[in-house]
Amino acid sequence: MSAMPVEDLAIDLLTDLPWITLVWNDPINLMTYVTYVFQSYFGYDKPKAELLMLDVHEKGRAVVSSGTREEMERDVAAMHSYGLWATLQKDD
Amino acid sequence: MFKTGIGGKLTLKLDDAELGVLSQLFEQMWELLEDPENELGVDPLAKMLNMSGSTQISEDPALARLFPDGYSDDEHASADFRRFTEQDLRAQKVTALSVAQETLKDWKGKSSITGQQAQDWLKALNDLRLVLGTRLEITDEMDTDFDADEPGIHLYNYLTYLQGTLIDSLT
Repeated sequence: MSAMPVEDLAIDLLTDLPWITLVWNDPINLMTYVTYVFQSYFGYDKPKAELLMLDVHEKGRAVVSSGTREEMERDVAAMHSYGLWATLQKDD
Repeated sequence: MFKTGIGGKLTLKLDDAELGVLSQLFEQMWELLEDPENELGVDPLAKMLNMSGSTQISEDPALARLFPDGYSDDEHASADFRRFTEQDLRAQKVTALSVAQETLKDWKGKSSITGQQAQDWLKALNDLRLVLGTRLEITDEMDTDFDADEPGIHLYNYLTYLQGTLIDSLT
């Protein structure tokens, strides 16, 4: 299932820019919870998950995954199901 | 609280006051998650194809937090993303909520929790914290210990504590 319109697909084939999933800082989600989500959904080990969580917390956002637009839409939807504030965009 | 016992078995222990508070919050969550389109007679085919979702972020800040935009810089793509994902996201939240609620039926003060139930509890408790935290306008700078006498903050702190015990048990 993808929300990707056909014209955007054509553009994607012409560029090799990957898409990225960003997780944004929010004052409610617990740091331990965010770390847990990164570990259990992405399969990251604890040090990597903690580093990403700290990036989100201190820098306001972090890139947590990259890939095709369809893959990133899947990751963003998954983050939303955990209640994390995530968006996707082209990596530029 | 959630606790991992001997042999790694997860249990949930709640006294009557906790049971009352959680049951009430779960009820309110149901009302919040109820699909407004259910009553409007949406085209059943579109619904079956999962295409009947709305395209606009909610004006209610709590719902906007539960169902955020998928793109920060592209309104059109965000609308498409929402149309194709929001129904499913809502269904997932409803499932987590019903599983958590089901655990509390005929409550005897204590219950063992399966791995799948734990995942649903984790999401349901987090959704509650997101809604309550948004309503209370919690910020990073806010010291919720300082305002702990305020009933809303007290409740929020309790949910934080309960979710904390679950995360500790799972990690």
